[in-house]
Amino acid sequence: MYGWVGQVLRINLTNGTIKKEALDQAEAGKYLGARGLGTRLWIKEVGPTVDALSAENNLIFMTGPLTGTLATNGGRYNVVCKSPLTGAMAASNSGGYWGPELKYAGYDGIIFEGKAEKPVYVWINDDQVEIRCAEHLWGKDVIETTDTLRAETDFDAKVACIGPAGENLVKFACIVNDYTRAAGRSGVGAVMGFKNLKAVVVKGTGAVRVADPDGFLEALTKAREMVRSHPVTGTGLGLYGTGILINILDQSGGLPVNNFRDSGTFPNADATSGETLAKTYLVRNKGCMGCAIGCGRIVNVPDGPFKGFGEGPEYEAQWSLGADCGVDNLAAIVRANNYCNELGLDPISMGATIACAFELFEIGAISEKETGRAIRFGDAEAMVELTRQTAYREGFGNELAEGSYRLASKFGHPELSMSVKKQELPAYDPRGLQGLGLNYATSNRGGCHVRGYMTSPEILGIPEKLDNLATEGKAGWTKTFQDLTAAVDSSGICLFLTFAIGAPEVAAQLSTATGVECTADDVLKIGERIWNMERLFNLANGFTKDDDTLPPRLLKEPMKVGPLKGVVNKLSEMLPEYYKVRGWDEDGRPTPEKLEELGL
Amino acid sequence: MGGQLLKSLRSWGYKEVIRLKVKFFALLRDITRVKETVDFTGGTVLELLENLCSHYGKRLAEWIFAPSVVGKKKELSGNVIILVNGRAIEHLAGIETPLKQDDEVAIFPRMAGG
Repeated sequence: MYGWVGQVLRINLTNGTIKKEALDQAEAGKYLGARGLGTRLWIKEVGPTVDALSAENNLIFMTGPLTGTLATNGGRYNVVCKSPLTGAMAASNSGGYWGPELKYAGYDGIIFEGKAEKPVYVWINDDQVEIRCAEHLWGKDVIETTDTLRAETDFDAKVACIGPAGENLVKFACIVNDYTRAAGRSGVGAVMGFKNLKAVVVKGTGAVRVADPDGFLEALTKAREMVRSHPVTGTGLGLYGTGILINILDQSGGLPVNNFRDSGTFPNADATSGETLAKTYLVRNKGCMGCAIGCGRIVNVPDGPFKGFGEGPEYEAQWSLGADCGVDNLAAIVRANNYCNELGLDPISMGATIACAFELFEIGAISEKETGRAIRFGDAEAMVELTRQTAYREGFGNELAEGSYRLASKFGHPELSMSVKKQELPAYDPRGLQGLGLNYATSNRGGCHVRGYMTSPEILGIPEKLDNLATEGKAGWTKTFQDLTAAVDSSGICLFLTFAIGAPEVAAQLSTATGVECTADDVLKIGERIWNMERLFNLANGFTKDDDTLPPRLLKEPMKVGPLKGVVNKLSEMLPEYYKVRGWDEDGRPTPEKLEELGL
Repeated sequence: MGGQLLKSLRSWGYKEVIRLKVKFFALLRDITRVKETVDFTGGTVLELLENLCSHYGKRLAEWIFAPSVVGKKKELSGNVIILVNGRAIEHLAGIETPLKQDDEVAIFPRMAGG
């Protein structure tokens, strides 16, 4: 095979068997890889109603056909399983170098079945695959685990592991590879922790073959030139990182503040911005494999109570641990983000859950009896300490570890969880971005911005500027963004490329790499197939159209301050049209005709 | 009376000076070396941008305006995002958007993230 390496590892942690299986070429053609193929393989083998924290919940690491090739930003892979946070399918995307290394070792993906009796890690050294004891690693953070495993195996090996949060089954624990890149959302780290799987260590010396080397070089060179010459991917993201968005969302009035209670501008937002980070704690920028952008931030807080070295924060974390908690102390945000990386937590869900707790405290739904101390918006020290406690389920951290929906429900206020399908919303208030609100509501994995990044046309004017307050036409745009994203995620390249390139450039790279002819329309069709497959899984799992909604605050409470004061999200104006453009019935179910059209 | 006087003055070419707050972000801050200023004015976004460019120079002008074409009106480069009181000018009157006393104009280089 070309693009794909043609082999999948199947490792049963219950009985210790290791098998090498041929990649299903037919399925690979239909679902590409990573998110799409991983989800397809999971659904084929596991029933939708399986408990997320059970041995039956397969955990799949899957790369795409462009992962590890020379394709621009081709360093991505996905982790797929049923999410313990949402009950929906989790497909969590990460960059770095781990995904390419897996392909160099000769595998497109790994399917983990069962549950080990004691902590283990897996060491993949080309053809040699071993399950090894990891009892000495249990309890260690990501950095110490990664250092230890590289020393034990090979200095050049790449490590994907969980931290204490995954071991302690925190519902939004992540899997971290290459020290600081994470399959961050939906609690995939908790599933790994449940399986007693501490890490997957990979070293590969092979290569990925492409079908048409000259054509591929031409296609990737064109894409790379477009990425390098675009003002966003060629300049802005490398200089300021994703945190460059803090100020524009603040100035546009779309920045969620204090658990979305006091949106949409944050006093002193600039103190938490990408510009300020670049002038204070930034050491240098960093890219993943084959990256032409370099949005990663290596940072160092040299002194003070939040002293420390690490990577990030990204925009989402700058907001969740910042404005969403009412915190404008950038050093504290960096410290909490470092905890998330080191202990293996999703910083979006972490910050949003703390913000929910702050509001619960302020309205008197919880007290110092539960929390051990006063916790209020703006308390940077509490935000940092609660982050640490959550990973270890210490004290009140044990409540936070369940995520905001279960926390708010337990204390009588589920409406204060700013989540969709129990997953916390990211850093854009959907009252100020109507189309993004539709994407949040319909996202197959719950509250998520990268399933269909409507911020791009609604605020940033890419590929063209749409009125963020209008609802007309947003259904069609949302569908296109969701479908393209599903295909890009499944190809093994970085979603950020799509600020500069589109479906034709993705198709050209896929065609020449795999040898399977693929047009721009095919790319969108594959994406639509993946989206509908995920939808079918959710429906079979008990989700209904009633789950395609937003927290009541965002539908009923007008924004309080800023240029969008008085605005709410008008989801009901968009959702019926969305179902229609998707070819679904009024209850949001794909019609038989649509399924036939997509080959599902 | 005052209104009539102002009307007469305007008919003779007089323009009132309106006070604006202009904010710069990201790379543009490196050019202007200030985060914000109240030292510039303009009756429209275009007038304000021209005033800013004549003060801060060619680098800012290159970011903001497309290369000029003889006989054609000035156009934005597409590399900037301009908000007036938080609203993108695409949804107002573009570069002809009129400005009034105490308006806030925010100017960003085209950006993205996520």
